[in-house]
Amino acid sequence: MSTSRDRIGALWMSALSPGAWIIALLAVVSGVVVLVMPVRRSPGLELWMFSPEHASMYKPATQAWKEQTGQPVNISVIGIPALSRRVMGGFFAGVETSDLVECERQMVGPMFAGPLESVGFVDLTDRIEAEGLMGRINPPSFTPWTTRGRIFGLPHDVHPVLLAYRSDIIEAAGIDVSQIETWADFERVLRPLMTDKNGDGQPDRYLLSFWETHLDSLEVLLLQGGGAMFTMDGECVLGSERNAELLAEVLSWCLGERRFCADINEWTNAGHAQTIEGYALAFLMPDWMCGIWMEQMPQLSGKVKLMPMPAFEPGGLRTSVRGGSMMGIPKTSEDVEAAWSFARDLYLSPELSRRLFETNGIITPVKEHWSLPFFDEPQAFFSGQATGRLFIEQAPNVPARPASPYYRTALLRLQDAAVGVAEKARSTGKSTPEELLPLTREALEQAQASVERQMERNVFISGGE
Amino acid sequence: MARGPASANRTAYLFLAPFLVLFAVFTVYPLILSAVLAVQQTHGPGFARFVGMDNFVALAADPLFHKAVRNTIVYTLGSMFIQLPLALGLAMLLNQPGLKGRGFYRLIFFSPQLMGLVFVAMLAALIFEKRSGLLNQALQGLVGGVLDPESAFPWVRVLHDVVWLDFPWLQTFVMPMLILISLWMYVGYNMVYFLAALQNIDKSLVEACAVDGAGPALRFWHVTIPSIRPVASFVVLLSLIGSLQLFELPYILLDQTGGPQNRGLTIVMYLYQSGFETGDLGYASAIGWVLALMLVALALGQIFLMRREER
Repeated sequence: MSTSRDRIGALWMSALSPGAWIIALLAVVSGVVVLVMPVRRSPGLELWMFSPEHASMYKPATQAWKEQTGQPVNISVIGIPALSRRVMGGFFAGVETSDLVECERQMVGPMFAGPLESVGFVDLTDRIEAEGLMGRINPPSFTPWTTRGRIFGLPHDVHPVLLAYRSDIIEAAGIDVSQIETWADFERVLRPLMTDKNGDGQPDRYLLSFWETHLDSLEVLLLQGGGAMFTMDGECVLGSERNAELLAEVLSWCLGERRFCADINEWTNAGHAQTIEGYALAFLMPDWMCGIWMEQMPQLSGKVKLMPMPAFEPGGLRTSVRGGSMMGIPKTSEDVEAAWSFARDLYLSPELSRRLFETNGIITPVKEHWSLPFFDEPQAFFSGQATGRLFIEQAPNVPARPASPYYRTALLRLQDAAVGVAEKARSTGKSTPEELLPLTREALEQAQASVERQMERNVFISGGE
Repeated sequence: MARGPASANRTAYLFLAPFLVLFAVFTVYPLILSAVLAVQQTHGPGFARFVGMDNFVALAADPLFHKAVRNTIVYTLGSMFIQLPLALGLAMLLNQPGLKGRGFYRLIFFSPQLMGLVFVAMLAALIFEKRSGLLNQALQGLVGGVLDPESAFPWVRVLHDVVWLDFPWLQTFVMPMLILISLWMYVGYNMVYFLAALQNIDKSLVEACAVDGAGPALRFWHVTIPSIRPVASFVVLLSLIGSLQLFELPYILLDQTGGPQNRGLTIVMYLYQSGFETGDLGYASAIGWVLALMLVALALGQIFLMRREER
């Protein structure tokens, strides 16, 4: 005779097989374990960044911070696209990211898209003003991290652009570059070096590495000439007359009889080979590129020099700006005060300025460090020039770059306009700036309309609400 | 004690549960959320407002979206009408009785599929690069050296005068290049399906057809095609879905942009740009739903056509 306990047992077993019960039990136990297990957060500050070079430079500072506070700084190096998605994902979902994020300029646009109060980074404006950092840091360096008058990141760099030229070839030809003040001078003085050695009817050497598809260089030249994609108020001005004139001018460098530019990929081995063989004589060179050249093209050591960029007009700006990073503090940081202290101490440290320059050729935006002696040391790679000083001389003049969530969109539309005009010009035989101007006007107006179409959907930018 | 059908059902559900839970969390929930997002305007974190069908209306008037759709359709047509016939042709060649080394050829044609798409894109970028690219170097050496600059044919003179070393394939012919690369990648893959289908054709049908006097073309049309139709439909559907979702190849090949003049911009790339580069998740969701509806419509169309054929 079965007892009631036996009957209940039999009922349980009839519901599921023993194996299924074991699986169900394991699922429930593991689920409970996962749920009740506390989320362990490593002690100290969490810093996410994209540059392994920066990470290795920050090691001494993180050790010093640990000695000072007893708390470590845990650095994670993450590629730019992944870092961007991770930070954006955290901001959108409102979940914890890290205490500090070092961001590249192209990442931050969408992070600034919403109302000011919902930007995922801590607004640093008041801290920066209260601690007198506005006066200590090069003012243009704040602009990419400023939206609607508020600053959301501490600037890491200035990134002025100079012109790197093949001194071995140019000086061997007896040419003195000091006579070059404008791009017109540059073309006139160096054109005799554009030769066709193998007799195939094509020059084997061009004067400048630049092409209508070079996204960043287009912006560099536009900014140098006084053009802009956005005003400080965030208005898109891609279709301005100045931009049209500048685009017509720089595109004429790639077209017809006047062509003196070569399309060299600055990131590939093939591009490096062309650079080394002297396919182009000059390159638009931001400070951060110096370190890359020294590491990746040691064959050029002693064969390259730097000079200020030729201006578009006599007396015009001799520099521009390219790239940039900032340190931001996500609002979800558990210790904003500690994160701010670490970021400020790190970026304002003379030791970091030295390492930044000696390792990567990058100059600090901290103006009081510009008088430090290491910036005057001659660089063997650059034929004994004190490159630090050359960049610092131009640093106060770098153009401001207003931040916009639509920056990347505008940059892509600028490239579309440039490619469209260049192709139309090639098919119609137009090549002078005067002939190209109507085309660039039309193309840039269309580009601006395209960006504005997107901007109009954003009530915080268009003021629609 | 014997367990009844109810117990068996419960066990089945228990085993299905992990999949169902994951499916619900990672597919159903995001689908619902994206449907909600598609009727919202989102700008940056923490802001969303209901805009009804505005995102879809804006899409209908968005020239960039039109371009992305056009590019995607061109790529899809290229995939369907070049890739699949080539795959079938290759499969028929490999299905020839008495062919030696069939396994070897099958491996050779299938092997591009073993490479990651990212590597293929990087390799292609090197091949099509101006000046140092393999293709331009070869063309400069072959065409430039062989063609007669004084030829009586104008096109020969034009081809001779082209500076092949500087020819910008990835600037001028983005979509043909993408189709070419995908041919290399997927022809062998689709060929394997077709080959399996061809090997399953009832030989007696072919022989009977031949006895009735049908030539190769008639045998192909009346025996081969109907016999492989289920597999062909499956391959067509896979190609359609894959082509309409094209993203990684142009994304890597064109340096994370839509290419010059957006010639390589696809629907999914535009979705990515809108969602992750501009932060407009609502608009990106609307693009995703339009793509999903296109896929559903095409799949339903194909099922309808298949059923009509079967009748």
